[in-house]
Amino acid sequence: MVDFSNQPTMKGFFAPTRFEADVYDCEVIGKVPTELNGAFVRLGGDWFYPPISENDSPFSMDGYINMFRFKNGIVDYKGRWVKTPRFQVDRAAHKQLFGVYRNPFTDDPSVKGLDRSVQNTTPLAFAGKLFTLKEDSLPYEIDCNTLETIGPWNFHGKYKSLTFTAHPKVDPLTGEMICYGYEATGLETNDVFLYTINQKGEVTRELRFKVPYVSMVHDIGLTQKHVIIPVFGFVTSLERLKEGKVHWGWDSTKPAYVGIVPRDGEAKDIRWFKGPERATVHTLNARTEGEKVILEAPIYDSNPFPFFPPIDGSPWDPSKARAYIRRNTFDLSSKDDGFSEEKLFSMNVSDLGRVDDRYLSLPYRYAFTAYADKERPFNEWKAGNLAGRVNNCYGRFDLATGQMSSYFAGETHSLQEVCFVPRKNGSEGEGYIMGVASNYAEMRSELIIADAQRLEQGDIARVILPFRATAQVHGRWVNESELPFA
Amino acid sequence: MNPTMPESSCSMTAPQISRRRLLGALATAASALALVRFEGLFSPTASRKESRRAVISFHQDQPYLDWSGTAVPYYPPPGTRSADVAAHLTEEMLRRICINL
Repeated sequence: MVDFSNQPTMKGFFAPTRFEADVYDCEVIGKVPTELNGAFVRLGGDWFYPPISENDSPFSMDGYINMFRFKNGIVDYKGRWVKTPRFQVDRAAHKQLFGVYRNPFTDDPSVKGLDRSVQNTTPLAFAGKLFTLKEDSLPYEIDCNTLETIGPWNFHGKYKSLTFTAHPKVDPLTGEMICYGYEATGLETNDVFLYTINQKGEVTRELRFKVPYVSMVHDIGLTQKHVIIPVFGFVTSLERLKEGKVHWGWDSTKPAYVGIVPRDGEAKDIRWFKGPERATVHTLNARTEGEKVILEAPIYDSNPFPFFPPIDGSPWDPSKARAYIRRNTFDLSSKDDGFSEEKLFSMNVSDLGRVDDRYLSLPYRYAFTAYADKERPFNEWKAGNLAGRVNNCYGRFDLATGQMSSYFAGETHSLQEVCFVPRKNGSEGEGYIMGVASNYAEMRSELIIADAQRLEQGDIARVILPFRATAQVHGRWVNESELPFA
Repeated sequence: MNPTMPESSCSMTAPQISRRRLLGALATAASALALVRFEGLFSPTASRKESRRAVISFHQDQPYLDWSGTAVPYYPPPGTRSADVAAHLTEEMLRRICINL
């Protein structure tokens, strides 16, 4: 019997949705640009069965893939659970059989050895296939038309890491994908396997190396010459897993390491730089300028995740869990292992930022991300008392001038991760921003589409869902030509 | 009543009330009642009595209190204020349930 009644926070807008959905010809306020043909694919998680522990992480929620399919100004919506082995055995048992985040010692004995992955982090379209990504396992292939799950994919057997990142990078000039897996040879291993995969989906290069300590390597930076590998703060051990804890804890004594390796280099060529306590969960972009490697990212001072608590027993500190867009510069000609850090904007932002992907690894100007503007109105009467606590704006941050332009979603809305969709043959930043808003007054989700160069003018279209869409972790725009859409 | 009796003396036993006196008495009573109601506006007790009659309604999408008591009460539709469940949560608890607020 499914019972969420004793989950005090899973109510209202935050209650599990639990259903699959098809909405044909969605209601639209405004006009969807007819030049947008393809799909906005989202991946996130939702609890199909309640977690076994209140201390579990939301990263354990069952994966749910959904897409807004765009065709000549008409939008259809489809949502499906990612039917992992875990999801299927849970359904057969009618309950949660799996324990806390990335800790198999807390599982029901009946599922020992089964793939624990929930596939809830990032959708990827590559080499003509659609995948779901979760950094604790291989990618799962998904049918791009039905969104039904096909199964794990190992790139014709040539991808040897047991895990695959949720943030591979596709070089816009070569079409190659640079990807990796950490804890590549199993739980608690400090092995990282770094791969280059060509446009046909064939592995063309593998580099194996070790990180200074076993930690979350959630995202990387890519330049035309280098790969940048941030390692920070999160620690794990077999002991903590056997104690029944979630995989990660935060160790504030651990320095933040950043590894830099030439894209054509070997393990011996990796250079590790070291800095103070930081958390670089997601990156924006990177580039190599002569002997300098430059990374820009929304970086936290410390642990952003309360569900991965400090290992010393101290309370999680929300004041240090704010991300600021910063620039880290690594001087390859220097003799020491330090690097410089600049805070580019004084305001804190969502760390789920994006750039125009055609400029990934290259010099660029614009970054997009959500943020909370506390000066904007919030209608507590209609939406509930979350004033000042939700991301109500998308910003376009001009890294060349320090200027910002802003889109405001409305007084009863909060915004999930932004996505940038370039206009064909347009210059950098010319195109649309897209993202799902939670409408707390109507208890529904709305896909926002706005002109990225005219954010102050508001949205040009809102695609209305008559229900709450499952919360997104990451989403991406997929052009019509990238996948065999029907 | 004796139809021949003058208007001003309908009964020999009852005190005689002229039209002018009657109007005067009514005016005094009305003034006194008005005064009581006016003072009552500043009385906590009376104020509570008034608010019991007020109706929360909506006009042009804005909430207002209808003091006449004649409006249709407003009941939020299902889903309205759907973020309220998180309103009392600490920053830590909020981030535990919402990784993408």
